[in-house]
Amino acid sequence: MTTSAINRVCVIGAGVMGAAIAAQVANAGVRVLLLDILPKDEGSDRSGVAKAAIARLLKTDPAPFMSPANARLVEAGNIDDDFGRVAECDWVIEAIVERLDAKQALYRRLDAVRRPGTAISSNTSTIPLAQLIEGLPASLQRDFMITHFFNPPRYMRLLEIVTSPETDASLVDRIAQFSDHRLGKTVVRAKDTPGFIANRIGTFWLQHGVNAAIDLGLTVEEADAVMGRPFGIPKTGVFGLLDLVGLDLMPHINASMKASLPADDAFLASLRESPLLSRMIAEGYTGRKGKGGFYRINRTAGKVKESIGLVTGDYAASSMATVPSELSRSPKALIASSEKLGGYAWTVMGATLAYAAGLVPAIADDIVAVDAAMRLGFNWKQGPFELLDALGPKAVAARLEQDGRPVPALLKQVGDGTFYKVADGETQFLGTDGHYRAVPREPGVLLLVDIKRTREPELRNGSAALWDIGNGVACFEFSSKMNSIDEPILKLLEKSVEVVKQRYKALVIYSDATNFSAGANLGLALFACNIAAWGEIEKLVSGGQRTLKALKYAPFPVVAGVAGLALGGGCEVVLHADAVQAHAESYIGLVECGVGLVPGWGGCGEMLQRWRDAPGVPHGPMPAPSKVFETVSVATVSKSAAEAKSLRFLREDDGVTMNRDRLLFDARARALSLVDGYVPPKPPEFRLPGAGGRLAMSLAANGYHRQGIATSHDLVVADALSEVLTGGDADYFDAVSERDLLALERKSFMRLIRTGPTLDRIQHTLETGKPLRN
Amino acid sequence: MQNIVVAGFTRSPFHFASKGALARVRPDDLAAQVVRGLVERTGVKQDDIEDLIVGCAFPEGEQGMNVARLIGLLADLPQSVGGVTVNRFCGSSMQSVHMAAGAIALGAGEVFICAGVESMSRVPMQGFNPLPNPELAAKAPAYIGMGDTAENVASRYEISRERQETFALASQRKAADARSSGRLKDEIVPIRTKAGVVDTDGCLRPESTAEGLAALKPAFQATGTVTAGTASPLTDGASAVLVCTEEYARRNGLRMMARLRSVAVSGCAPEVMGLGPILASRKALERGGVKASELDVVELNEAFASQAIACAGEIGVRDEALNIDGGAIAIGHPLGATGARIVGKAAQLLARDGGRYALATQCIGGGQGIATLLERV
Repeated sequence: MTTSAINRVCVIGAGVMGAAIAAQVANAGVRVLLLDILPKDEGSDRSGVAKAAIARLLKTDPAPFMSPANARLVEAGNIDDDFGRVAECDWVIEAIVERLDAKQALYRRLDAVRRPGTAISSNTSTIPLAQLIEGLPASLQRDFMITHFFNPPRYMRLLEIVTSPETDASLVDRIAQFSDHRLGKTVVRAKDTPGFIANRIGTFWLQHGVNAAIDLGLTVEEADAVMGRPFGIPKTGVFGLLDLVGLDLMPHINASMKASLPADDAFLASLRESPLLSRMIAEGYTGRKGKGGFYRINRTAGKVKESIGLVTGDYAASSMATVPSELSRSPKALIASSEKLGGYAWTVMGATLAYAAGLVPAIADDIVAVDAAMRLGFNWKQGPFELLDALGPKAVAARLEQDGRPVPALLKQVGDGTFYKVADGETQFLGTDGHYRAVPREPGVLLLVDIKRTREPELRNGSAALWDIGNGVACFEFSSKMNSIDEPILKLLEKSVEVVKQRYKALVIYSDATNFSAGANLGLALFACNIAAWGEIEKLVSGGQRTLKALKYAPFPVVAGVAGLALGGGCEVVLHADAVQAHAESYIGLVECGVGLVPGWGGCGEMLQRWRDAPGVPHGPMPAPSKVFETVSVATVSKSAAEAKSLRFLREDDGVTMNRDRLLFDARARALSLVDGYVPPKPPEFRLPGAGGRLAMSLAANGYHRQGIATSHDLVVADALSEVLTGGDADYFDAVSERDLLALERKSFMRLIRTGPTLDRIQHTLETGKPLRN
Repeated sequence: MQNIVVAGFTRSPFHFASKGALARVRPDDLAAQVVRGLVERTGVKQDDIEDLIVGCAFPEGEQGMNVARLIGLLADLPQSVGGVTVNRFCGSSMQSVHMAAGAIALGAGEVFICAGVESMSRVPMQGFNPLPNPELAAKAPAYIGMGDTAENVASRYEISRERQETFALASQRKAADARSSGRLKDEIVPIRTKAGVVDTDGCLRPESTAEGLAALKPAFQATGTVTAGTASPLTDGASAVLVCTEEYARRNGLRMMARLRSVAVSGCAPEVMGLGPILASRKALERGGVKASELDVVELNEAFASQAIACAGEIGVRDEALNIDGGAIAIGHPLGATGARIVGKAAQLLARDGGRYALATQCIGGGQGIATLLERV
């Protein structure tokens, strides 16, 4: 791997994108020099523009930095005083104003100061590479490329790289590898065409989405309901997305597309003057950043969500639109439907998918790149060709013909087949040459979905499975809704411990899903409460405790491969692993108090042990219980893996993987590294403060209650939690065992779940996804 | 009995805990620099010093281990000088003055350094291991939060939020005037920190306005009247005064600032601990044979505006005598260091502005008051 060659990066242009790209480089632990122009006001700080950008980053939500401490890796400067320091950097990213002359002038200046071989890339989204490098020295052309990040760069996984025939291939590999391994991006090679891949198709889709909604008389809610869930597209759909990115951006993008696309491009035919859009922009309705957009929150009388009438141009209370469930579940049925919504679905998606199919190989070498770009750049669950497979390529082609529209060559070529197929135990895609070949995986990328195609599971039930992932390592996969943990999962986990003991060296707990686990299945718990099956609930609590301790004390290493949410019971699984390999975007927390409960599967003891053993924590009975109380009583969830370390949901030496696709591979490697000489941990013993400590916590909680921060049921929950954390009626002189703590957890859990307010909280959270503050 | 005088006063700049310029300074180092500054500025013969008495409200961690002795060693006092740490919460370093006076009266020494220190950044209020006694908690509100006591005083004395804010604003204004006209400079010992020398106070908010204060949320009770603007901030700081016999001061040419006339401590109900100064001050005034109306200078610690207003009224403090250079709401309240600061400040004001009698008094968590009556030399 040659990623070590990038030790310092310079970002020029501290606007929204430039600054946020700098933050992501800092998130990778790499020092960044962030340069911008001198401020207009002569007397002020000469690096004030970049400094203000860093200050803004620290206030932005969602946070561009994974930890505020990362801001220290970003050094602010200006292009007058600090330009020479470009020579210290291995990669210069230009993110200045989208003006060719300004960019070219900057490149020439850069060429004079950079070390030879230093990569220079532009984050342009509108200017072709050929124009950018025209007339530049050959040496500069060799080191130049476009690296197109998506907003916000920390969270959007797509990076489009565009090169020219002159670009040094090894340098591109170096930047691509760094972007993949360190910045966590999926690199898609795009060709030098307008809008590259994602924006080319995405703007076409948006434009058609708006046009067709007006033509067919849909409300914005209807349009977004059709475009959202049925097609695996974020629920913002078309209009919600425009509100998010800013309506005022559309005329710019359209103008730039118009200027650079070939005259026969289908996109140009879709462009039309929109008096509504022009008026909205003129009046400041530019979307969420402005006074509102197609949707707005009207605060004149309370808080009312409103939407604009596409015909009337007036706002009115938003009315929810739903797609009938049989259509919502099947995009195929939806486009076939003759109803208005079906007509809209076909008009927009038929055109968009046909457009995409006509663009390969013009914008990318293969369909895999196009699908990846739309999945990662627009958060579609499936790319255009995967969607075509779902709809049936032949049926789509036939419908296009029926409509009298041209059928793209690729769509003709696929014929009766599909763009992807599984053969020889691998996923293959249709190349532009008509041959199928394996979807390439970078070395170090291991996906469970690939493994699952090649073999049967070792064990499986409705909620989980155990897979052989090679090298003597087994993988336990949650497969329930939101990976929530239910009795079948616990049962299979217990069984898995036996299987792994006999046949494997180590166990990884992981799934390809967005979230590791949203926690215990509350719906089942609520059902049991409603029929007063208290014994069943207690059995579930003690069963979970037994299973997770079996995992902890198993004679083989267990590694949790965590990504996304790991909440409540999911967090407790993580806490019982010998080590964790976490995706940088891991949101971990013991959130039980939010639903009126306490952690019941051993989470309290595991957290107590971590804080007790943490360096720098003062001695004595209270600091560790206090720290856990502070974290757990308010249901704190980490906003990154880095923050999870400071909250001690992760250990200092737990691994962090920046690229989601590399997580399983890294987790497996971590598990294997623990195999030699593995000895299970010894059960901890605690010295806990007992009643005095519980009183101290209660006094603190009461203070928050008087301040109006804690609710009355919060006090009940806090007391139940503090009873566990302080060891019940323990005396500081007596050791409290892990078993004692588990018994206290059960006692507090059962005490709380029998209270009405806790049941109200559970029910409310199940219904709304939000906490009830009672 | 010999006359006892205050013959020197120094303090560190006071800064907000955690976010201020002293957050990364160990409290023992901080106090040692202030003690060293006092020795150098007064010119006292170090070998004559009997004891270094240091007040500290949460004497643990970096301010634990009998921090007084450690401060003496850090400050390069002769090894022959003793060191004792005393704790009467917020009254700790005023207590150190009283203990020095007591020792002198006992014939147990002539010269004392009475200091105080608190790093509220590095040692949390209640310390690292708060372990209240459940039986006591059931019997008395011994562990009541300070903010809640301020609310209790406000409602018992019907002190409106607006009145508290007017008081706080006056404190800010007086402190800002004192600083801008250089009246705080002489007492401050510049503190060396890793990030450079810190030589000015950090808690003052001269930009405070009535509107700004009125916009703050209640800090302790959702429907209460006490806000962060009408409470003293969590503060890092250290202070020290030189206490000796008048005879010693004259013999050695020390600059006398004020003479000690009487002292007192008293207890009160924990839930209105802010009223502690009332009884303590009455006792000290009575022992000193002085009427409140005769006081030209009163340093009444502003733990909260509500309790300061109530106490000033009950004691009968004239407005123009009260906290002339501003109080703790503006300057800050590093618990263990405040007592020595206000004794030193009261003595300094008598020497500086004239006047005959000065009172320094403060309330103490748990329900106590402490008071020191000074007179012009």
